[in-house]
Amino acid sequence: MSGPRYDRTKRQDQRLIGFECQACGWVSFPEEKRTCKRCGDAPAEMEEVQLQERGEIQTFVVQQYLPDDIETPQPVAIVDLPQEDGDGEPARAYGLLTETDLEEIDVGTEVVARFRELFSDGERPIDSFKFSVPREEKA
Amino acid sequence: MTEPHVVGAGMIDFGELYEQSFDDLLESAYLSLLENVDKGVDPSDIDAAWYGTIDIANEGSSGSAVAHATGLFETPITRVENACATGSDAFRNAAQAVKAGDAEVALVIGAEKMTDSTEGLIASAALERLWRGRGVTMPAYFGMRATRHLEEYETTREQIAEISVKNHENGTKYPHAHQQFECSVEDVKESPTVSYPLNLYDCCPVTDGACAVLVTSEDRAREFTDDPIRVAGYGLASDTFQRGAPEALTNFPATRQASSQAYERAGLGPEDVDVAEVHDCFSITELITYEDLGFCEEGKGGQFVDEGHPHLDGDKPVNPSGGLLSKGHPIGATGVAQIAEIFEQLRGEAGAVQVDAPEVGLQHNIGIGRNATGAVSCVNIMERP
Ligand SMILES: [Zn+2]
Repeated sequence: MSGPRYDRTKRQDQRLIGFECQACGWVSFPEEKRTCKRCGDAPAEMEEVQLQERGEIQTFVVQQYLPDDIETPQPVAIVDLPQEDGDGEPARAYGLLTETDLEEIDVGTEVVARFRELFSDGERPIDSFKFSVPREEKA
Repeated sequence: MTEPHVVGAGMIDFGELYEQSFDDLLESAYLSLLENVDKGVDPSDIDAAWYGTIDIANEGSSGSAVAHATGLFETPITRVENACATGSDAFRNAAQAVKAGDAEVALVIGAEKMTDSTEGLIASAALERLWRGRGVTMPAYFGMRATRHLEEYETTREQIAEISVKNHENGTKYPHAHQQFECSVEDVKESPTVSYPLNLYDCCPVTDGACAVLVTSEDRAREFTDDPIRVAGYGLASDTFQRGAPEALTNFPATRQASSQAYERAGLGPEDVDVAEVHDCFSITELITYEDLGFCEEGKGGQFVDEGHPHLDGDKPVNPSGGLLSKGHPIGATGVAQIAEIFEQLRGEAGAVQVDAPEVGLQHNIGIGRNATGAVSCVNIMERP
């Protein structure tokens, strides 16, 4: 694994910045694209939008069989992150879950992005967001 | 322009073929095809070939692998790679070339050795692509649809498991299937969890295999057989859940697109399909596919299986061969084998898994690409002329 591919989206990723297609409203995240994946507008006019740290699980699985160096069971979800100003469409992203009991997860569960080391690329830690159920709401 | 026709098929037994190389697999499928064409085919009749493989074991990455295995060195051979739809897309490309009149007799051959490098495959899916895919492996990608389908519709875990039960039962009657055992709904539910909500028996095995079919023009079809099968339509499309469409959380919109294209070209609809071989890499995939192909309404896939429609003796038999769940899924060979199975069915030669006098057959593959966020879907429709 090489370094640059993880650096490319570092800013968007660590600050939850998405890009909204001005033609159809689709939000690209974490990559910034010049073509729209939904309406095909090309070149598309993309405007930077700030996403909220809190989103909602759309669906999920709990992975059991993974390479030895990845901890299992490993829950992973599709999470919709709304825009900070509450307008427009959310961004849809994959997220690993952390610090969360399996019983707490369901479709519709609210989760919050936490910045963590995702894995290590040789010597270098690769930081990104993982999601967890907000602490104050835990029983 | 002419109508492409399938005039022969050569299938080998799928399984753990560790002792055999890619060349061996291709050679076996090719020889089996030559043997099984009703009136015979001379290798010099073949004027083009399409080779479907992902080449997971890295044996060589061009069409020349087929030239080596068959001796067809002077013939144009194109290698096609399109995720799990590789074999069906190789077929689609050959059919297009025959239709255009550019190739008169085309060989379609698919092969994959999955057992040589399973570890490498899983590691590359989970680690190499962890960043964008975030550790989402194949079972996870399909399992996510299962979770949401269970939540959103009245689909039950038992209905999902029932598909694996049906396909394993069919597989015991199909001679080329890798896994020949029957199982119950309880067996499926009690098998080890792979990726919640999917268990081991919801997943297809790791299998090697190869298959070849021969496609030719309407004019020349009867040189090879008195019973050719017409290629009526085909379609191909891609999608990703990231586009935000709500139906992509439970279904595969790419299959809706690909099947619409195929139905339109064929002038047929889902109601006309008498038998189908569809992608059941996981049990949930087949349930979703009933809906995407229009065999039933969205959200009614569970009910569709409950009512017995896709069973061998049902009114819409799906995967009479046992599907990928029992046959195995050697990627490049998978779609070509499904074409061979539909060819057999439409000719009434499917033996113990023969369904009642089908006129129209459908073949479908869905593939995952782009760090497990994208899906490619290919649909081919064949018909008795
Ligand atoms: Zn757009």
